[in-house]
Amino acid sequence: MLWYKSWLETRWRFLIGLGVLLCSAVATVYTYPQVLRLLPLVSPQGHGALSAEIRQSIELSRHYRGFIWLQWFRQNSIDWTTVFAILLGTSGVVSNSRQTGFTLSLPLSRTRVAGVRGAAGLGELFALVFLPSIVVPLLSPAIGQTYSMADTLIHGACLFVGATVFFSAAFLFSHVFDDVWRPLLLAFALVVAFAVLDKALHAPAIFSVMSGETFFRTGRLPWPGLLACVAASGAMGWITLRIFMHRDL
Amino acid sequence: MGESLIIETSGLRKTFGEIEALRGLDLQVPAGSICGFLGRNGAGKTTTIKVLLGLIRATGGEARVFGLPAGEERASVEIRRRAALVSEAEDLYGAMTVEQMIRFTASFFPGWRSDLQARLLRRFDLRSGTTIKRLSQGMRTRLALLLALCRGAELLVLDEPTSGLDPAAAEEVLQALVTYIAEEPKTIFLCSHQIAEIEQIADRVAIIDHGRLVLSGSLDALQRSFRRISMVFDRDAPAVEFRGAGVARVRREGRALTVFSNDGGDAVLDQARALHPVSVEVAPVGLKEIFFETIAAED
Repeated sequence: MLWYKSWLETRWRFLIGLGVLLCSAVATVYTYPQVLRLLPLVSPQGHGALSAEIRQSIELSRHYRGFIWLQWFRQNSIDWTTVFAILLGTSGVVSNSRQTGFTLSLPLSRTRVAGVRGAAGLGELFALVFLPSIVVPLLSPAIGQTYSMADTLIHGACLFVGATVFFSAAFLFSHVFDDVWRPLLLAFALVVAFAVLDKALHAPAIFSVMSGETFFRTGRLPWPGLLACVAASGAMGWITLRIFMHRDL
Repeated sequence: MGESLIIETSGLRKTFGEIEALRGLDLQVPAGSICGFLGRNGAGKTTTIKVLLGLIRATGGEARVFGLPAGEERASVEIRRRAALVSEAEDLYGAMTVEQMIRFTASFFPGWRSDLQARLLRRFDLRSGTTIKRLSQGMRTRLALLLALCRGAELLVLDEPTSGLDPAAAEEVLQALVTYIAEEPKTIFLCSHQIAEIEQIADRVAIIDHGRLVLSGSLDALQRSFRRISMVFDRDAPAVEFRGAGVARVRREGRALTVFSNDGGDAVLDQARALHPVSVEVAPVGLKEIFFETIAAED
């Protein structure tokens, strides 16, 4: 029943997220024929970084696999998954403290209360990552294209592991603060900080891991990045439990 | 052999930053008693309850419920298995219906009383399909009481159960409680600042002020031992100091001198007569007066 309660309390965030991501996945697939028609009309001039990026995008979009990676796994999916990972993560036990009193008056250990909430959120995040991504290979034949299911699952796994970092950060913040807004603001500040670092360092960082760029370009999984994400998420989960165990509620 | 204690605290302390909510609370609640826990707002009543149920950790001292240490995680789970809390906070799950809330709570208590549940649903006129966020505060309190009573708990902890209710609704909640106690004797720990409620159902009273226990005992014994001795003089009342045990408070107003005694009043009466007042009157005092005089003496 604790699982059911977690579902009741997070279902709207999850269902809205699922709706948005499914629409985005469908739109990505059905946009491709139009992109193919427009490609010959685009010829970027200049030698700047922006021009180089546009040229690279055009080259990738000439092939369906490149287009899906670029538009879906490197952009739309990452953006929306990050947003909803944070929204699901901020549904922690403490920031919903109006109802915490009743839950904690039940014969439940705090580990179980926070564990079920965290696991339920991760389960919803898993569904948010994989269900819309699977739509891509299933829908591709409708526009005369094919996309590998294996690629979908591998990119989905990278996206999920990366997104757990933002989920865990939001979950941690929501057990430190009693309100909803500070965890949300801090988690989004973290996203901005990662994005800035990504650009400034010109090095593969969390968003590169989430997009599975290494796998797309070389066929190899980004193991160091994935392991770092798992370690960071695990550490934040452990800290969350420690904080929750000793908090006055 | 002494009476067995369901709740026992010794030197219990709790601080929130620089605020001392509990300053060495020594509280004992015997098994089978209905103990009214009285105190002003901010006296430390809710903090005490939260410590007893493991919702907050004590800063110092010891708290035991059913003989189990309330500060230990495993023990506190066992305490909550055997105790039920009805809180003043509106903390039921707004997204659930009445039926879902009952099923959710029942799933944690193998000894759930379905017969009592059916009876209370009828008595409180609670409709199973209504979403909790649509219930009035009175109906939420009734539902919270149902959820607590049907657990078959050995200890019922009520934290301001009638707070925010109109007099009729408050009376109905109390009556339901009285009926339940009459049918199935349990230990009740009723925390309130509604003195009339405590007087109506409690057989023991504990008064907390500034985080310390200032008075406790059986209600009958307290009402027997507390006396108001009023003296009227034909001149301004003399500024005398009443000595000896049993003087709770002395009040001097013009020609009147009033002494509150917590020891039957005989010793005070002897001293009073020696002052040659025009009249002396000894009167019993109610719980309300006992409470006010006790906390006034603490200020």
